[in-house]
Order: sequence, then structure tokens, then C-alpha cells
Amino acid sequence: MSEPTPPHHVEWESPEEFAARPHAELAAPPDGRVRLPWTRVLALAVAAFALWFLLYAPTLQHNAQVSPVGTRRTISLDVTGPVAAISRALQLSHVVSITGRSNGLSGGSTGLTVVGPHAGGQPAKAPPPRTGGTAPTTPTTVPPDPKNPTAANPLRVLIVGDSIGIDLGDALQPNLANTGVVSAALDGRVSTGLTRPDYFNWPAELTADLKAQNPQVVVVMIGANDAQDFLGPPDVPYTSPQWNTLYAQRVAQFMQIAGSGGATVVWVGMPPMQNAGLNAQMSDVNAVVQQQAVKAKPPVIYLSTDHTLGTPQGGYTPFVTNGAGQVVNVRTPDGTHITPGGGQVVSQQVIAELQSLGYKI
Amino acid sequence: MLFPTIDFALFFAIAFTVNWLLNPYAGWWKLSMVGLSYVFYGWVGWSYCLLLLTTTVVAFAGGAWVHVRRDERTRRIAMGVSVGVLLAILGWFKYYGFVSVNLDNLTHAVGAGRAVPLLQVALPIAISFFTFMAISYVVDIYRRELEPAKPLDFAVYISFFPHLLAGPIVRGTELLPQIRRRRDPNSIDYSRAFWLILAGLFKKVVISSYVSGAIVTPVFTSPTQHSAPEAIFAAWGYAVQIYCDFSGYTDIAIGLAMLLGFRFPQNFDAPYTARNLQDFWRRWHMTLSRWLRDYLYIPLGGSANGQAQTLRNIMITMVLGGLWHGAAWTFVIWGALQGIGQCFGHVRRTVRERRGLPGVADGPVRVWVQRFFTFQFVCLGWVFFNATGTSQAFSVIGRVFSGWGEASPLITPLLVITVFGTLASQFVPPLRIDRLQAAFSRQRTAVQVGLLGFALLGITTFGPVGVAPFIYYRF
Repeated sequence: MSEPTPPHHVEWESPEEFAARPHAELAAPPDGRVRLPWTRVLALAVAAFALWFLLYAPTLQHNAQVSPVGTRRTISLDVTGPVAAISRALQLSHVVSITGRSNGLSGGSTGLTVVGPHAGGQPAKAPPPRTGGTAPTTPTTVPPDPKNPTAANPLRVLIVGDSIGIDLGDALQPNLANTGVVSAALDGRVSTGLTRPDYFNWPAELTADLKAQNPQVVVVMIGANDAQDFLGPPDVPYTSPQWNTLYAQRVAQFMQIAGSGGATVVWVGMPPMQNAGLNAQMSDVNAVVQQQAVKAKPPVIYLSTDHTLGTPQGGYTPFVTNGAGQVVNVRTPDGTHITPGGGQVVSQQVIAELQSLGYKI
Repeated sequence: MLFPTIDFALFFAIAFTVNWLLNPYAGWWKLSMVGLSYVFYGWVGWSYCLLLLTTTVVAFAGGAWVHVRRDERTRRIAMGVSVGVLLAILGWFKYYGFVSVNLDNLTHAVGAGRAVPLLQVALPIAISFFTFMAISYVVDIYRRELEPAKPLDFAVYISFFPHLLAGPIVRGTELLPQIRRRRDPNSIDYSRAFWLILAGLFKKVVISSYVSGAIVTPVFTSPTQHSAPEAIFAAWGYAVQIYCDFSGYTDIAIGLAMLLGFRFPQNFDAPYTARNLQDFWRRWHMTLSRWLRDYLYIPLGGSANGQAQTLRNIMITMVLGGLWHGAAWTFVIWGALQGIGQCFGHVRRTVRERRGLPGVADGPVRVWVQRFFTFQFVCLGWVFFNATGTSQAFSVIGRVFSGWGEASPLITPLLVITVFGTLASQFVPPLRIDRLQAAFSRQRTAVQVGLLGFALLGITTFGPVGVAPFIYYRF
């Protein structure tokens, strides 16, 4: 059988044969496009990449600064640092500022989304853009009884979390909103936690969320990314004895902010993890959170997911049987995150807890 | 390894240099390409390389087995066993969890015990793509359309990193001849390659990410809390998102291959200009469409045995095509919708032809009406494709009928411009783009460097920090 000869290809041959042969195919084809040898294409690409790198280095340096501690971060900082300095010295970084990230096209963060009724009985929409960092305000419109919400005076619930918190929020938010008497807000940020405020400042974000939503219930599910070093100076390694003390302070501060407006705070613990190392780390994180939940004033309600998303012994399992007796795949194949079905299971757990606290939802 | 990352840029700089330096030395070039491709694939998990190697060995041995057999019966058995093993590997990784959970719930409902053990099997990325390429290789040898390749050639064919993760699904007859020949190092069509790579990055990093965050994710997350216009825009927006995501990936893949001296087949041809479902599938994921046609639809009998069997074959092909995308009922419904749409078109064409009319009605108004309704039907399918479950899909569709009279704050002028602008771009004649590429290639080097550098800057500046994986990676 005959195989078609691709255009602009030559038979495989030795370098000498190739050099000795006339190359009709090197003539510019009739499409008007100029072709180049690979060395010139490489030089062109490297030069364009270098120009981009010079212009974009300050942003790359910032991204490296807020990335997880490790060899990759160190190398990235070593490489981007000098180039970013040159870029700033030549005032080139202004080019990025002019094209700007305020153009409305730069997505990526979940931000605060609100669904469900709000006072007056109309569907709530996302609040106007805000800049964080201010202290929460005292509620100005308190429904007569938050435990007996109505469409006109809905219960305001704020859900905050990392990527696993988003997994929960994606199920819990619509479930609460669909009761018709809950206005549910979700602020989820992937790859975030409490140990790296330089990457994402959750206390400031929560403060802004409280100001915007004025919640009566705050549901927190954060911790999957927290088993890492605190950046100093001085740095506090995850394995050091001081880590637990410092992490406990961060958790206590976060609980204090969450409850500062008088909201009931429900903290959902991390589920069992498939990876043994990560599972042990999450046990440490959960233990700290549990201790601080008891100490908080008023106490924070800690909801363990060890059994709702785990085996009866609290171990990892990808499948659980739900209330209807159906087997549900609750974990994603990475052994860390929660599937939509798993989100439903934990969502029902949170709603049941709120109902047991007297919230008629 | 994701294309739009610094990691990949550095990897490709090395791969490009190695590719051309070793170009004169066939054996070393092939070894280096296999090695680089396995590094590329193993970047997310080295254990997956074992699966790639297993598929390569099974398909190569299968092809050789089919080739050495002389009588038709044993050739067919050899082909069937080889394809069966490849499908079993795919089935285990991709469908075991789905089947076992549904079987377990079924047996529970009838009061029986657990039929099969519940196991969560991690889905290796790209398994569907390289399995289909492996199957086509074995079947093409069986059909005597392809000679068996040398082991190293075949290893390059299956693992070649530009197509490895999400296609295009390149056939042995297309890629193996290119692997066997030395490429010309002095004639790189760089202006087209750079255009494809930058256009792909723009579509993926800027457009797809923006539309996803601005309308698609909010509406699909909580459909009941959004208005009818927002639900409609979410469906249209997802049509734009998945097109920009997948065609963006394909453009980058084709551009990278071009820089290495290879030609890949076209995978998209302005799909939202289609006038009916059949036309759509000639323009959307074209390499999958022709795979399904040649290795599933035609072996089932195609359209050779009357209308009833033709419609049956269309439905089987499209439902299995839906399942290829993922093990979920939403993909089954999506595939069934594609099948129903194509069956409707087939019957309509047949009726018109019996009346002596052209199969598809012409005239400018009719053409636009056909395009409009085809696009709406495609968007209906996309709702199921994107939904996490059937209830979410029906909830989004329900809002289209029940959500009128409410405010639509998510529909901003920027969103409207982005959605309609992307759809309108499908009507730009390819000739104009060719002229742009030609004009670029004739510029001075400094101008070219400036244009490329600022284009890259625009993409990284307007895109989000961190790019979500391509949608088709999970297939």
C-alpha cells in the first residue's frame, strides 16, 4: 500500500546526504508565508519570551512569593527577583499596570455569591464590590427571631472555605436557599488556608464578608492546605512544637471574627484523607480546631466528618451509604476532595445540626 | 503538564531544541521523543506512564498478531482480542466506578446482595485519547490500510506529547509516515504555528476562564437563584467556554506539532455555523467524529441497511460517543440528544429527497434559521454535558421557562460582547487569517519579537492567576 507523503518532508537520510541534496522544498510556498530555519525560530521565540518575562517579572515574582514553601518557590524567587528588579528600574512594570487587572476579565476567584431570599422576599443577588479590611459592623436590621426565619426575614448564612469548603458550599448553598427562608452566601477560595495570609488573608476576607452579608450563621470548612510552614521571620516549620501554638492562635482569631457579630459559628472538620501522611496532618489540624472550638466564647460548634464521609472507624472510604440507603461516591479520585454527592451528605449534616439548634429551616 | 504554564514553556524549549538537533539521527530522535513524551505525561503522576506503556505494548503486539495471521477468521479473532483488551483497560479505569455504584444500587433496590465490589479507580488523564489511537492502529492493520510500524515508531506515535493529553486523535496513516521521515529543519511554518499557539492560549486563558467565572459557574451552581435570561446566557456561555477551551487546546497542540515539523489534522471548523446536527459533528471534534464513524458507525452497518437500522446505528454511535466523554448519566443523555437530533435530520432529509427537494433547504433566511435552531439544540445538549447531575441540568432548563421577570445582573455588556463576539468570530473567513499570518511572517525580526511578546503579555495579564485544566483532560 502507498502512504501519502506529507508536504515539506524529506526522506530520512544522513546529514551528509541531506546537505548534498538540492532542497526545492526550501523555496517559499505559494501561500505568501515566509518559512524559517529552526534556529531562527528558536531565537525569535526566546527573544519574545524574554521580552514578556521582563515586562511580567514583577507579577511572576509576586506569584512566587505567595506560592507554597519549597524548592520550587526558592528557585522561582531566585530567577524572577533580579529580572523583576530590572523591570521596576526601567519602569517597565507600568506596562502591566496600564493593561491592568481592573479590566473585569481577570476571573479565577470565587468571591462572595449570595443566593436565596433577602429581606423583602425578593431573590438576593451578589452585593456590590467591596474592598476588605474593615471591622464588622453591628447588625442594623435584625429579624425578630433568626430561628424562625421567613421569606421576608430570612436567616442569613455565610459559608467560607478552601477548595473542600467550596465542595461543601456548592451543595449547602443551594440547599439552604431552596428552603425559601435562608439567604446563603458562599465565599470559597481554592488553595487557601490560615497559615499563609501572605497568599490569601482570610481574616481580612471574613471581616469584609461579615460586613457585606451580616450573617446570623457562619459555616467554616478550612484546613486542607494548612499543614505547612508559617512564613516569618522567623519561619515556623510545620513539624516544630511552636506550630500547633501558632496555628491555634490563628484558628482562635478566625473563630473570634466569625462570631463577632453574634453569629452562630459552625466549623466543619476535614474528612479522612486517602493519603496517610495528609490524613495524619488533617488529624492534627482537626484536633487544634476542636480544642479552640471548645475554648471560644461563645463556643463554636465543631462538626466532625470522620464518620459521615468515612468508615465507622473514621477511616477513608470513597463510598458511603446515604440516608436513603443508596451507595454514594463521596470522594474524588484524588482521595482529598469531595464529590457533589459527598457535598450533599455533609450539607445534610450541617442542615440537621442547624435544625437541632432550633433553626426552623 | 498543562500547556499554559511556565513548566511547559521550559519543557518545550528543551523538546524543540532536542527535536531539531537529533533530527538527522533517526534512532536517537525517536528515543528522545518517547523519553520526552513520557516525562510530559508522567509530570502529574509517574504511575500513569506504566499504563501508557501497557497500552503501547498491547496495541503493538495486537497489530503484529493481526498482521502475521493469513486467514480471515483468525485475523478477525486477533483483532477482536486486541481491541477487547484495550477496551477492557479503558473500561476498568473509566467505567468500573460508575457501573459498580449503579449495579449496587440496583441490586439493593431488588433486595439482592452486592454484585461487585465497590472500588474507586483513579482515572488517568488522556486514557480515552490514546486508547482510541491504539484501537485505530490495530483495526487499520486488520483492514490492510496500514502496515505494522516498527516498535520505536509506534511508541512515538502513541505517546507523542503534542497530541497525548487531549488529541487530536491522529491516525496511524497520518502520523506514522511523518515519524518515518526526517523533517526539513529549514522550512518551519512559524507564523501559522505561533498564531495557533497564541490564539489557543487567548481562547483558553482569557475567554474560556472569563465566561466560566462570569456566568456559567454561578448559574450552574445555583440555577434556581438566577433569572431566565441568565440561564439562557449560561447555556450560550458554556457553548463558548467549551469551544474556546477545547479548540484552544487543539490549536496549541497543532501549533506545537508544526514547530516540531509535524502536521496534525484539523479538529474544529467553525462548529457554531453548522446548519444541522450532522453538519455540527462534521465541524466539532472532527477527529473523534470520524473515529466514531469509521470504527463504530460503519462496522455497525452504517446507512447501508435501510432507514430503521440507520437510525439505530446513529443512536448507538452517539450514545457510546457520549459515554466516551465520561461515565455519567448526563453524558448518556447528551449523547442521546445528539443522536435524536441527527436522526431527525436524517429522516427530514430522506423525506425531502423523496419529494424531489434538496436534502437541506437553502436561501439566506433559511440558512440563518437553521443555524439558530441548531445552535440552540447544541446548547441544550451542553447543559447536560456541563451539569454535575441530571437534576442540575433540568433545574437550569427549568429556569429558562420559569425565571422571567427577575433581574439579570450577571448579564453585563462585557459578557454579551464576549459571547456574541466569539460566536461571530466563527464567520471570519480563514483567508483573512492566512493573510494576517503572511503579513506577520514578512515583518522585521524586532517587530515580530515585539508583537509576540506583547501578545503573550496581554494573554497573561487579562487571564486569571492560575489556569484551570482543560475540560477535555478528564476525558
